[in-house]
Amino acid sequence: MSFIKQKKKSEEQIKNIILIGNPNVGKSVIFGILTGQYVVVSNYPGTTVEISRGNAGFHGNKYQVIDTPGIANLLPMSTDEVVTRDILFEEKDSVIIQVADSKNLARTLLITLQLAEMKIPFILVMNMMDEARERRINIDFKKLSKMLGTQVFPTVAISRTGTDKILPAIEKADVSTYEFKYDPFIEDAVKKIEGYLPDFPISKRSVAIMLLSEDMSLNKWLDEKLTPQGREEIQGIIRDTRKRYPDPLEIVINKERLQNTDRLIKEVAVIEKAPRKGFMYNAGRICMHPVWGVPILIAVLTLMYFFVGKFAAGTVVDFFMGTVFGNAVEGTGIINPFIARVLESIIPIKFVQDLLVGEYGLISVGITYAIAIVLPIVAAFFFFFGILEDSGYLPRLAIIANRVCKWAGLNGKAVLPLILGLGCGAMATISARILDSPKERMLVILLLALGVPCSAQLGLIMGMLAGLKSYAFFIWLFIVLGSMILVGFIANKLIPGETSDFILEIPPLRFPSLKNIAVKTLARIEWYLREAVPIFLLATLFLFFIDKVGILQIIRDMAAPVMAKILSLPPEVTDSFMMGFLRRDYGAAGLLEMARKGMLSNNQILVSMVTITLFLPCVAQMFVIIKEKGLKTAVAVAAFVFTFAFIVGGLLNFALNALGVVL
Amino acid sequence: MIDKDERDQSLESPLCDICKHHAVEIDTEIDELLETIWVLREKGKVTENHYRESGAGNVILDNLDRLKKMNLIYLKEGHVTFTDGGEKHARDLIRRHRLTERMLTDLFDIPRGRIEAPSCQFEHILSEEVTDSICSFLGHPSTCPHGRPIPPGECCKKLTKTITPLVIPLVDLMPGEKGRIVFIATKDRRRLRRLSSLGINPEGIVTVNQKLPTVVIHVDETEIAMDHALVSEIYVKRITDNG
Repeated sequence: MSFIKQKKKSEEQIKNIILIGNPNVGKSVIFGILTGQYVVVSNYPGTTVEISRGNAGFHGNKYQVIDTPGIANLLPMSTDEVVTRDILFEEKDSVIIQVADSKNLARTLLITLQLAEMKIPFILVMNMMDEARERRINIDFKKLSKMLGTQVFPTVAISRTGTDKILPAIEKADVSTYEFKYDPFIEDAVKKIEGYLPDFPISKRSVAIMLLSEDMSLNKWLDEKLTPQGREEIQGIIRDTRKRYPDPLEIVINKERLQNTDRLIKEVAVIEKAPRKGFMYNAGRICMHPVWGVPILIAVLTLMYFFVGKFAAGTVVDFFMGTVFGNAVEGTGIINPFIARVLESIIPIKFVQDLLVGEYGLISVGITYAIAIVLPIVAAFFFFFGILEDSGYLPRLAIIANRVCKWAGLNGKAVLPLILGLGCGAMATISARILDSPKERMLVILLLALGVPCSAQLGLIMGMLAGLKSYAFFIWLFIVLGSMILVGFIANKLIPGETSDFILEIPPLRFPSLKNIAVKTLARIEWYLREAVPIFLLATLFLFFIDKVGILQIIRDMAAPVMAKILSLPPEVTDSFMMGFLRRDYGAAGLLEMARKGMLSNNQILVSMVTITLFLPCVAQMFVIIKEKGLKTAVAVAAFVFTFAFIVGGLLNFALNALGVVL
Repeated sequence: MIDKDERDQSLESPLCDICKHHAVEIDTEIDELLETIWVLREKGKVTENHYRESGAGNVILDNLDRLKKMNLIYLKEGHVTFTDGGEKHARDLIRRHRLTERMLTDLFDIPRGRIEAPSCQFEHILSEEVTDSICSFLGHPSTCPHGRPIPPGECCKKLTKTITPLVIPLVDLMPGEKGRIVFIATKDRRRLRRLSSLGINPEGIVTVNQKLPTVVIHVDETEIAMDHALVSEIYVKRITDNG
């Protein structure tokens, strides 16, 4: 140990701390505590899909902390598990913090055994001690620490209990002394394979065992580090060993590991039979109940409709738009008329005045839309969404929706990225990675591009439709959901590949911590302000210029036949659709403004809402699609979505007229 | 990938001494005769005249003395009747034969046309204990795949009221019931690994929480939702509260 310290000091190298563990055990919470950096924390597995890096320091030692997506096994199965496992290969001079759910010792120790095998220094953080205690699971941490030969810390990370001991322990972190032997034939093969392996950042023994488990994701490493002959020899050893067992080697190896974890658990844990009938437990059951689950879902949606649609997009936006910001031309409100007057007196140049407070003014439109319209809605939505996330309701929703998802070639798990798309389509497109098959990822990306409105857009839609007949919102919901199911159904037939099994861990229903929700909402608002406001300004600037040079009018004229004939919408709506491509909420905000000014009839509002919901995803989301799926696919998706939106909008308009519906 | 022949060879083992010993002892001819009498009796054919009419009975007529001498049957006014010992012997044979047929069709999906030969072999060699285990495993079936009754054994009598098989697909448990996983019958390794990593392994204890709209089970302290197709590949022994 002293040797390691000396080496470290002389090289002045920054050590890595890698957080590893099962999904939904609190890695991101601990990351936040160690680095002081906020990453999104929720109560469902798969919140973290990308690696986050941050810095931490203790007693003059500097560390880089790496947060990873949750894994169930160090033999990876999905893309995000490969990501995590590869970090162990790539990051030299690392200490691992295995974060664990104390209630689930068996699954924890399965990973612990593999870390021990890898001979990487690590410490074990047994998180969620409170929940384990509640369930009468008593763990002898001292004994566990002794048996594993590694440091073990019980914590309740969300309330920072016990977490102060983590950083000081890093310097003393050492490789585990725990060892166990597999079946003799396997041990024999391991020894032989080790002989062919070059040095890895992890022990040769562990690599050999991974190879025996036929971990295909290792191939790329082998290609790099081994000669073809070496690979051939290893393949031969694996083939010979395979013959010794009726089951695949992976299963044999796994079985032996499980037997070992069982042995460990019997030594260190006493699980008293606990009554598990708490209020939260029962509430959690009701949320996924075949009968009660549906009214609860409707109740949740209604609540959201009232909170985000009626309250935020209605009352609050009216207040900000009408009373606070107002309109310079009409002389309403405070801020906009005030700025207009000030500008008139200090800068008597018409162009500058127009640029700032004109029809497409940076302040009168860009800032006003961003702050007065979108911000209240986004804030309300993020707050509400935070409660849903932290309570653990979303995975339960996946259970209710599993059947419907099956029609679209997906399974319930797809609900998570789709719902996440209500927050931000671009981020949700990335989180499609939690799905297991490429086909499902493609389907979800397509559906996100097609029909999932982002938070501000959804709020605006709810707000605008709230002014119409009560069933208008349900027509909208029906058309959008129906389109998604229809497109999913057809795409399912066209896109090759298979739908994976639906297996989803359901976290316990928890009372959300108000603090976490506040922090999360604020972090997301900050993100919104940083991302959205500049784009709002840029988009406004863009509109301003193309308006000044007359291009806007040309585009409007070009689009007018489509707008008028197919959708029966005024030509100005074109602006909103164009802006909707830059940011969807900007487009919807434009429509809201038009509706407020009485430029749209109720039927027109519904048609424009449906069309803009289905319309192109924003630029940011397009870029993510390109990154995840390539330019060709992205263009195909965009072309399809574009056409589809107008067809559906047109059909709706036609139906409304034909049926003589007046909303 | 490994090819099948290779693996099969590696598993091949020579007959053990006990097997050789038993092979000599079994008098299959007597067994077949008793079975024929049983089957004819099921069809209502119990007299020597009946036997003469149906060709199948002739072989019994030729051997009647032998069977009488072994005290397996007796003749009374032309009626062929089992002695107590003969009745038991024949019933056990039929039971083993038909249970084997059930097992081969239900469990291993062997086409009905090909189950006869192995069933004829199994019927001579299964011990009572093994027979009862198979019977329980299959859920104490009452008929063979051809629809003929399977004589109940001791194991069935204990469960005359509730016919509950010992090993059933997890999906057959009712919400609230518990089971111990016996095996997971999937050939898909990814599935197996995924289940395993969530703590679903043989010997593990699972509780079914709900079955609709999606099956939700409880393992250790984890609640897991999964597809019907997956749950039906997990086989469990039901655990009742009184043990």
